[in-house]
Amino acid sequence: MKTAAVNKKVRSRRSLSRNDRLTLAAFIGIPTLMQIIFLWLPALITIVLSFTYWNGINVSDIKWAGLANYKNIFFGTPVFYDALKNNIIWLLWFTFLATPLGILLAYQIDRKIKGHKIYETIFYIPVVLSLAIIGIIWNFMLQPGGFVQGVMGRDIGNAVSIWGNYSINTYVIMGVASWRHIGYIMLLYLAGLKSVDPSLREASAIDGATEWQTFRKIVLPTMRPVNIIIVVITIIESLRAFDLVYIIYGTSTAWPLLNILVFQNFAGQGISMKGAAYAVILLVLCIGPILLYLRNVFKEDLK
Amino acid sequence: MSEANNGISRRSVLKGAAIGGAGLVAGGSLLAGCGKKKVAGDVHYTIRGNLSDAGAKINIAVNDAYTKKTGNKVISQAVNSDDFQNNFVQIMQGTPDDAFGWMAGWRTNSRADAGLLADVSDQVKALGSSLSAAAIQGATNPTDGKQYIVPTTYYPWGLHYRKSTMTELGLNPESIATWDDLIKLCEATKKKGLVGYALGDKGGWEAMGTFDILNMRLNGYQFHIDLLNGKEKWTDAKVVDVFTHMGQLIPYMNKNVLDISWDGMRDLLLQKKCGAMMMGSWFATDFKAKSQADYDDLWIVPFPEINPEHGIDSIDAPLDGISVAKNGKNPEGGADLAQFWGSKEGIDAAVAAGDTNIYISSDFDTTSYDAFNKQKLAVLGAAKNIGFFLDRDTRGDFAGPVVGPAIQSFLKNPKDLTKILDNTQAQWDALPAL
Repeated sequence: MKTAAVNKKVRSRRSLSRNDRLTLAAFIGIPTLMQIIFLWLPALITIVLSFTYWNGINVSDIKWAGLANYKNIFFGTPVFYDALKNNIIWLLWFTFLATPLGILLAYQIDRKIKGHKIYETIFYIPVVLSLAIIGIIWNFMLQPGGFVQGVMGRDIGNAVSIWGNYSINTYVIMGVASWRHIGYIMLLYLAGLKSVDPSLREASAIDGATEWQTFRKIVLPTMRPVNIIIVVITIIESLRAFDLVYIIYGTSTAWPLLNILVFQNFAGQGISMKGAAYAVILLVLCIGPILLYLRNVFKEDLK
Repeated sequence: MSEANNGISRRSVLKGAAIGGAGLVAGGSLLAGCGKKKVAGDVHYTIRGNLSDAGAKINIAVNDAYTKKTGNKVISQAVNSDDFQNNFVQIMQGTPDDAFGWMAGWRTNSRADAGLLADVSDQVKALGSSLSAAAIQGATNPTDGKQYIVPTTYYPWGLHYRKSTMTELGLNPESIATWDDLIKLCEATKKKGLVGYALGDKGGWEAMGTFDILNMRLNGYQFHIDLLNGKEKWTDAKVVDVFTHMGQLIPYMNKNVLDISWDGMRDLLLQKKCGAMMMGSWFATDFKAKSQADYDDLWIVPFPEINPEHGIDSIDAPLDGISVAKNGKNPEGGADLAQFWGSKEGIDAAVAAGDTNIYISSDFDTTSYDAFNKQKLAVLGAAKNIGFFLDRDTRGDFAGPVVGPAIQSFLKNPKDLTKILDNTQAQWDALPAL
């Protein structure tokens, strides 16, 4: 504690020139101001609106609703739980399958296995596409009358039901989403792996560590900063999922996600502040785990 | 309150408009004497759809005809139809185009109440006797008795099929009179390896057409409108009956109902993969764009009677027209263009460009209609109650977010019906007052 306080004093005594201060103020102030205006203010307004009834047109029509929107969502809207389920499946799938696969791939490619350049390219290509484009591509492939159906000799009348078949559509969507996510994680991890000092690995090899032990005890801990980014990205990508599913299903909640519900209630024919309530629920879900995780990480760092 | 007005106004008969029209003839001629003031200035117009669509070309043709007549330039821009509808409120609050094709019913009236649409009562009056009284009433906002849309066209929802397919199968849909006949027809079509009753509901609204007609056939128009306006309960045995009937059609549907949208349904029919298809006739323009032979092969019959008490006295026939944005740069010009769309010259221009819609205006000579359009008129004429389609007959925050998913859940899992209906009612009850 004492040293920290001393440090602080030392730091603050280091005087900055007027110019420096102005530059710093501009560099920090302008982005902060923009964040506040374009992000925090709308977010706060959304939170307030989630406690009201409003059709989104005249401000004078806003009526206080208390917790009614939330009650409606939690107790009267089964599609909310379907959406929550889908988001959770997305999160679990990414956490336990897609992300580890990406890491594994990165590790293998970093070890320069045979043909690693080819693998790298293959897995990297989907990353340059946005999920919306990926939605268009796979929808075109799999929908009735689509390419894959055509190859199978199925016309629109007897096309295999994929998007509308509830025993498989979740897995298909997960597969399509992973197609990009795996490459994305691989890329991030590969960049991180390049910075791991090779002598560390050599040392562990000399000490007789197995490949797995080296990865767990040496590589993973040295990759901490990248790991944090990957965990955060995986959580956010899973919860904010929208574009891929929107391209395939539109605003109809045939395969609901929380973001689709936000969109449907905000942008549809009948605007209702249930949309705002969905958005707030999503915000809490996104921020909660990430804050918790980051706090843990930084706590360890302080020790 | 407003629902009651709505109910009465729509119960009136489109075909029996002559009686009501008589009164308006007088009104129209009076107004004609007022003298026309010239409206000037560029008009901005939104085309809903892609510029390459058949519909967009018709829009441009009519707007060009307007420019030719008045010298006022029309600047058209194409906007994705779904985006336009979804962002309607935001667009209208910004700097919208002056005029655009729009839909009568809740979508117009609620936006008019919110002050987003311009009053076009004068234009409707100027069109006078050419518009049937029922059409005018259908376009009238029950809250203030004014019109916020110049009604131009309408179309029936009915059973569509291809004559050639049915002939090949040795079936005649024109002879189906009862529910059993329909099931037999579906059965026979299915036996020949085709889809008996084509349906797609990926978009969440397509199956509403089937729900509407079953409800109107089984329980009558009044019950249907009352249900959609909260005066009847979704948990009612009558509604269960509607879904039970829908359930009886499921075995004859394509196995990928939730995979395809309306365009998939259209393609099923276009590619001769199905027998009957319940849909609004507007898609016929796509048939015509494909080829005249496909269009000539297309036919429509009314959905058969189920309950003799109601016969085939009701139909969904959404009324379309041109609305004018209040916040546009030139609302007067927009209104003038809207009026042109409803006039004989406007209709002539649209027809010349390949429009297959049927027009409300009596100035348009129906004898020049093609066979399909005459059949559409006959189908409409068979009904005396006109519904506007579920998503225009009820609140927007109920139709899309609640009824759409409810029907999808039913098609997914018909056994859950009780739960689905309980929940639909609960969600209606939770809606805020308008």
